[in-house]
Amino acid sequence: MIFNKIKFDVIVCGAGHAGAEAALAASRMGASTLLLTGNIDTIAQMSCNPAIGGQAKGQMVREIDALGGEMAINTDVTGIQFRLLNESKGAAVQSPRAQCDKKAYQFRLKHTLELQPNLQVFQATVTSLIFEQGKVVGCRTNLDIEFYGRTVVVTTGTFLRGLMHIGQNKTEGGRLGDFSAKTLSASFLEVGIELQRLKTGTPPRLLGRSLDFTKMLEQKGDAHPTLFAFHDTRDPQDLFHVEQTGERRLGWAPGGEQVSCWMTHTTAETADIVRRNLSKSAMYSGEIKGVGPRYCPSIEDKFVRFADKPRHLLFIEPEGRTTNEYYVNGLSTSLPFDVQIDVVRSIPGLEKAQLLRPAYAVEYDFAPPTQLYPSLESKRVENLFFAGQINGTSGYEEAAVQGLVAGVNAVQKARGGAPLVMQRHESYIGVLIDDLVTKGTTEPYRMFTSRAEHRLLFNHGSAELRLLHHATKHGLLSRSRIDRIKFKRDRVQHWMGIFETKRSNGALWGDLMRSGGAGVPTPHSFSDETPEVRAEVVYNVIYQGYIDRENRHVRKLSHIEKIRIPADLDFLAIRGLRRECAQKLAAFKPFTLGQASRISGINPADISVLMVLIESSGAGESDQN
Amino acid sequence: MLRHIDTIAALATPVGTAAIALVRISGPEAARLVRDIFGETPVARLARHADYRDVAGMLLDDVLFTFFAGTASYTGEDSLEISCHGNPYIAQRLLEDLLARGCRSAGAGEFTQRAFLNGQMDLVQAEAVMDLIQARSERALMAANRQLRGALGRQMTVLIDGLLLTLARVEAYIDFPDEDLPLEDRALVAEQIADVLRGTDRLLATSHYGEVLRHGIKTVIIGAPNAGKSSLLNRLVGRERAIVSPEPGTTRDFIEEVINLGPHCLRLIDTAGLNPTPGAVEKLGIGKTFEIAAEADLFVVVVDVTSPTPLLDKVLSDRFTVANTVVIFNKTDIRSPATAMTEEFLPGLKATVVSVSAKSGAGLEALRMTLAELAEGLAPAMGDDVVAINARHARALGQARADLAAAAQKLEAGEAAELLASDLRGALVSLGEISGKVDNERMLDALFANFCIGK
Repeated sequence: MIFNKIKFDVIVCGAGHAGAEAALAASRMGASTLLLTGNIDTIAQMSCNPAIGGQAKGQMVREIDALGGEMAINTDVTGIQFRLLNESKGAAVQSPRAQCDKKAYQFRLKHTLELQPNLQVFQATVTSLIFEQGKVVGCRTNLDIEFYGRTVVVTTGTFLRGLMHIGQNKTEGGRLGDFSAKTLSASFLEVGIELQRLKTGTPPRLLGRSLDFTKMLEQKGDAHPTLFAFHDTRDPQDLFHVEQTGERRLGWAPGGEQVSCWMTHTTAETADIVRRNLSKSAMYSGEIKGVGPRYCPSIEDKFVRFADKPRHLLFIEPEGRTTNEYYVNGLSTSLPFDVQIDVVRSIPGLEKAQLLRPAYAVEYDFAPPTQLYPSLESKRVENLFFAGQINGTSGYEEAAVQGLVAGVNAVQKARGGAPLVMQRHESYIGVLIDDLVTKGTTEPYRMFTSRAEHRLLFNHGSAELRLLHHATKHGLLSRSRIDRIKFKRDRVQHWMGIFETKRSNGALWGDLMRSGGAGVPTPHSFSDETPEVRAEVVYNVIYQGYIDRENRHVRKLSHIEKIRIPADLDFLAIRGLRRECAQKLAAFKPFTLGQASRISGINPADISVLMVLIESSGAGESDQN
Repeated sequence: MLRHIDTIAALATPVGTAAIALVRISGPEAARLVRDIFGETPVARLARHADYRDVAGMLLDDVLFTFFAGTASYTGEDSLEISCHGNPYIAQRLLEDLLARGCRSAGAGEFTQRAFLNGQMDLVQAEAVMDLIQARSERALMAANRQLRGALGRQMTVLIDGLLLTLARVEAYIDFPDEDLPLEDRALVAEQIADVLRGTDRLLATSHYGEVLRHGIKTVIIGAPNAGKSSLLNRLVGRERAIVSPEPGTTRDFIEEVINLGPHCLRLIDTAGLNPTPGAVEKLGIGKTFEIAAEADLFVVVVDVTSPTPLLDKVLSDRFTVANTVVIFNKTDIRSPATAMTEEFLPGLKATVVSVSAKSGAGLEALRMTLAELAEGLAPAMGDDVVAINARHARALGQARADLAAAAQKLEAGEAAELLASDLRGALVSLGEISGKVDNERMLDALFANFCIGK
């Protein structure tokens, strides 16, 4: 049976953090969009910790907001504790983080999707994709309903042949209590898309009233929350559009109470229990084949790899205002359930803890992302896009940014427009996607500020200004918001000009500010600017030398970034290219010379040869994909 | 069209002594260089005679320069050609000065590549050029790989690993502020930076060995006017190279010749005679003798046994040791040397003395053997385990050094960690230019290996 006999512009398979952003981006661009999810009650579920943001991730969420995505607003409205990380360091590496009310987060996003024009949400499990002549044209579902679309965005998360481990116990599924997408993998293999296995894990959830918080250290939120969305450039009508339907606001309200997190730690007894039971851990007994992340080790890993560290810090985080469930950040494990109870109860404050859900590890299929163009379209199958954990990433934010980009690019593909591709010097999103499609990943990829060579340009407050041209080009923001951002940009430039030209007693205002001493003149009219404009001006003035240096580096690199490599270029036929290099390039099909230069094993001489060839054929300017 | 944003410079004529040497410059800065160096408005295709003064204002040579505008040049960019006297030393100084003025040393085939990219050549020519570019870089790669497998590679690995660990220590506190990390130890970071700095300096200090290996042991022939230095050079080279005249002070420019003694390669440099009461022109030559002698590896001091020689300048003689100096009693065909002569002319010097007649050739074999022995004595310092970095390496190391020093300074001033990290990353990029790009993954490896990250 063919659903409605309509051909959608974009079909999104999966409604997690990637799928939700993809569906919203596509439908907001005016494309007819279908969002398919195996369970409509788990839309945008936070399968692991109940928090959004943090280092580099917080900046990415602000970039999502700058591109018209939903994660920032959704976090602001459903957040119950806000903290700005790295407040003691420079603005470039400060990141907002929020604890969210897990259910509120889901419900609000579900409601947003439901109210979104051009978007149809439907509950059905995708069982296979439909291909015609090397292109994807639709998908089949477990209800025997077929859907047809010009483009398909796949966001399977951990559900692709998901297999959960608790000790020796194995359950099929992508999340505790949920199903596993067992047949879809075959669709990818059928068209030659390579799949590999990754592993991730999640800690146990505890019942709050069984915990003794007096034995823990309280961690409160900031008195003045740093929000994720750019409220200063939003039209009041754009704000909280879901809330305006009459629904009450779910998270923290200005002036309201924030909830606290609690800190405790493992003990010598914890270490002892873990070590004694190592052989029962799914990870250590060899049950798990997938590769787990280095930055999110299980408690087993922590005691084995850092044996000399006497104790490890744990954070007890509330899962919401209307639940007594708590998340134990730092206690991810695949030990058997009975051992988990002993481990938990060896921790100060958790002596009488009741477990609501056990910790578990989950293995799943991912498609190595070097099989994608920077637009996130498959190199193998036209019109097929991938976003989120299927690309080997980890984290809600990492998934969401890919979803947004894939959603925009699916529409662009359906319409024959140029894709949204951000450069490494423009945004964390640009770094993330370039890393994925150029280098691939061997562990679940998480963003760090240190992955961005130009991170000094990526202070979270500048996301809107940095990405304005992309938002404008692809029509991702309302006219009124773009005007406000332009106005904000002009104000910032106006004041930067003043600080770099005006002098007091012979000293340049900018220099006075940079020297950090007293005597920086602050004219009344500057105090009248919005806090956002002032913060941006101050950042640019204080870090001017470094920002200039970054920009010089960017300019130096930018010319090879702009040279496109024609899609039909036959690397193997190029005389002068080393054989090994030609094979690598042929397998990889880099998009630009810049991308080619970042592939491991490609040296500058090879790039020179390519440059000579492309420039001579005059093909460098042509667009592809 | 592609825009090259930097200006490149290179010697266009072969290295060595010739009538003239040609230095070629291409890129957007060419016109500015004409104004800066010669103080003239560039006029295309007009050869001009001018003094070349370096950035410090010192006269290097009088030269002919020609400016070529835009598409009418070989590369299709603004270009500048400077013809100087064909002395490798002068050409080298000119190139160094151009680098100091912001030019980049051109890579192999880079002028041709630019010419091609700017449409100055047709496709048939271009294909030939491509083969050329590739062949050259492959050879360059082979040479580099030899060193990378050897001592330089090992020492670079130590440096880069040290720097990665330092960077990881800084990055950990930026990227994981919420983690349970040990208290930030800035003193340890300072120590590590100092350590990497020392390593960088050690490598930089070897740039001289590289010079020796590539261009020969710099051997300076010194002596009073008319002591027979030029005749000696001609004898050693085996042909008439220097103009020999009984008139003292004939050699005002420097004659340079390369000779092989067994496995060793010596670069012989004939200098102007050291006249204690020089004329104005001679003074200039003597000044240059001192300059060259300051960088010499070996000294050949020629004493004319027929006419008592004045004492050598102390600045010079202080550098003489038994390991780097041979004293030659010349003109022994006319008169036998007195044994006390060394004491008389070079008090306190313990050097091998060889009696020679440059005219008849007597004693030359003994001189050759003595020089070979001295060269052998220098060689252990350039043996297998010592690396010999080249000018490109030195430039990259120098850049890394500057960044490391800036990082150390920021650390001391208590500046923000991300700025410190920015300098350390700059240093890492520079070191990567020598041994291959250092992927950020390696920093993360160091970070996760040393810190327990993960809530």
